[in-house]
Amino acid sequence: MSKKIYEIISNVMDCPITEINDDTNPESIDNWDSFNSLILLDQLESKFQVKFELDEIENVNSVKDIKKYLSNHGVVLDD
Amino acid sequence: MDVENERELYEYISKAEKISTESFDKKIRIAILSSFTIKGLEDVFKVKCYENKILSKTYLSGYNQYQQEILNEESQLYKFKPDIIFIILDTRHILGDLFYSPYSITQNERKKIVDIKISEIKNMLFKLSESTESKIVFSNFTIPTYSPYGICESKEEYGIKQIVSEINNEIQDYFKNKNSVYIYDFNSFITKFGEKNIFDFNYYYSGDVKIAFNFLPHLAEELVGYIKPIVGLNRKCIVLDLDNTLWGGVIGEDGFNKIKLGQDAKGKAFVEFQKTLLALYQRGIILAINSKNNPEDALQVIKEHPDMVLKEEHFAIMKINWHDKVSNMKEISNELNIGLDSMVFFDDDPINREIMKQAIPEIQTVDLPKNPSAYVSVLQSMNDFHVLKITDEDKKRGKMYFQQRKRKEFKNEATNLDEYLENMNISINIKKGDKFTIPRISQLTLKTNQFNLTTNRYQEKDLIQICKNQKMIVGCIQVEDKFGDNGITGAFIIEKKSIKEWKIDSFLLSCRVMGRDVEKAMLSHIIEIAKNENIEKIIGEFIPTKKNKPCENFLIDCGFEKEGEAWSFLTKKEFKKPQHVHIVRE
Repeated sequence: MSKKIYEIISNVMDCPITEINDDTNPESIDNWDSFNSLILLDQLESKFQVKFELDEIENVNSVKDIKKYLSNHGVVLDD
Repeated sequence: MDVENERELYEYISKAEKISTESFDKKIRIAILSSFTIKGLEDVFKVKCYENKILSKTYLSGYNQYQQEILNEESQLYKFKPDIIFIILDTRHILGDLFYSPYSITQNERKKIVDIKISEIKNMLFKLSESTESKIVFSNFTIPTYSPYGICESKEEYGIKQIVSEINNEIQDYFKNKNSVYIYDFNSFITKFGEKNIFDFNYYYSGDVKIAFNFLPHLAEELVGYIKPIVGLNRKCIVLDLDNTLWGGVIGEDGFNKIKLGQDAKGKAFVEFQKTLLALYQRGIILAINSKNNPEDALQVIKEHPDMVLKEEHFAIMKINWHDKVSNMKEISNELNIGLDSMVFFDDDPINREIMKQAIPEIQTVDLPKNPSAYVSVLQSMNDFHVLKITDEDKKRGKMYFQQRKRKEFKNEATNLDEYLENMNISINIKKGDKFTIPRISQLTLKTNQFNLTTNRYQEKDLIQICKNQKMIVGCIQVEDKFGDNGITGAFIIEKKSIKEWKIDSFLLSCRVMGRDVEKAMLSHIIEIAKNENIEKIIGEFIPTKKNKPCENFLIDCGFEKEGEAWSFLTKKEFKKPQHVHIVRE
């Protein structure tokens, strides 16, 4: 499942998937600004059929956070 | 091209960055003014324009700074010199407290506030339209779906929903006759895709996003509908296959009684598709048929099937034969005098479509979905048929093409060309450029590609100025013959260079009336008025383009002589005006 998340991030941020790991954060990716962050969350919502909460949307500081929020909403990340 | 499957916003954003600055002929400068976050729309415009071979430059005004930008004539907006300005404001923003608490004040107070809002918007748009040459597209306001009055909303005088409708109506009415201002029905856009899909509170609170990201491409697609006619990319003719496109089944195999048309579910889908096509025909889109079939079988359906909405008279041309569709298409283009790049092709068969795409990429070959239920939606979501103005000419066009077909049959019967022309009873009515003819003349200068000596394009506002200029003559011709009125189908603009010399700035003829010497009659009129004003020399010019080959020899044929880069005609020379064309001057 990590791969699917990484893929979405790489698509939205337009960066190589190899640059992404769980510690990747807005500082480490050029295109990861607040606007693209919203687009990313919107993509994750539609690809995983979930709806984030405002607290989550406002506090994305790393890929780890994203994984945590997805699992909050029942997405099973078994790798 | 897949009209239904829109891509996601991020795909546009990453593609926009990679677009090389190719030098396309067609260029557009797009400004976007908005009261909320609409970042990303620019990128979609860039990509969509690029894919339509339009070079675009975009400008996005500062966040919610549209008023300052419009009022200050030194602003970046005006410096950008846009060709088109999109203004998208949201209802919350414009109504402020009234949006949330409409019933905290009396009906009269509401009315007063709304009147002020309306006049503010009118003034702002008016100011903008006076300060720029640009087209202005103002999005109307979304009508709220909620009212604190609940089920009693409809009982309330001047309730919140009525208020917003009234603002929309007032603004629309006010700019109805202002050619540079268009009202985009944003409220319909919301209705089409659904407020619950488009407006997401999470993203509204987090980033003032009022249009969900993945709907921006859909919005842009509709707005590109304004750009295409500005750069002359609108399509004029729909060419249709028959089997499984206009009816279900194959007439040659299933037979007259077994094809699906009307009656059952599948048959209804084809009827609805035909009705949608008919409505486009009625506003000026030309319909044609390109089908592999026995002509007798197919014609029997067209002429006799009770559920056939489109009749023989609606088709400007019917190529029903066993030739390959590509050759048929070229013939249709030639015979109708409509460029391949003005055509759209509908065919249910993916192989036929692929062949057409490969052979004639200029034609827009639509990827019809397999399910005929989706045909209407595909057709309705196409943004290729828009024109900046629908003239009376447009509404009559279909009928004119049908008359044209009759003319052709008449021509085929005639034994020689002179006899044919003689019997056509052609007359041209010469009209001057005035408020009645300017819209059509402008349309002709913008759309005529083949018989157009200089291809100078003029918007209506340009022509109004030119007509006012004492040194210019603007005229047009309305062509009639025994089969009917061809409408205003030729135009000319003359510049009076000096007391001895005139120059032909523009001289063009709609493809509809080519081949009947009316252009010579039009020129003879110009020569005659020149003589009356003691003009000695008329200068003509032929500026070659990819498309105007049909008139490359016109000046030589008419006795013009090469003079440097241009051509000249001495008025003392006799000009042989065509005898079969009767000239009437208004």
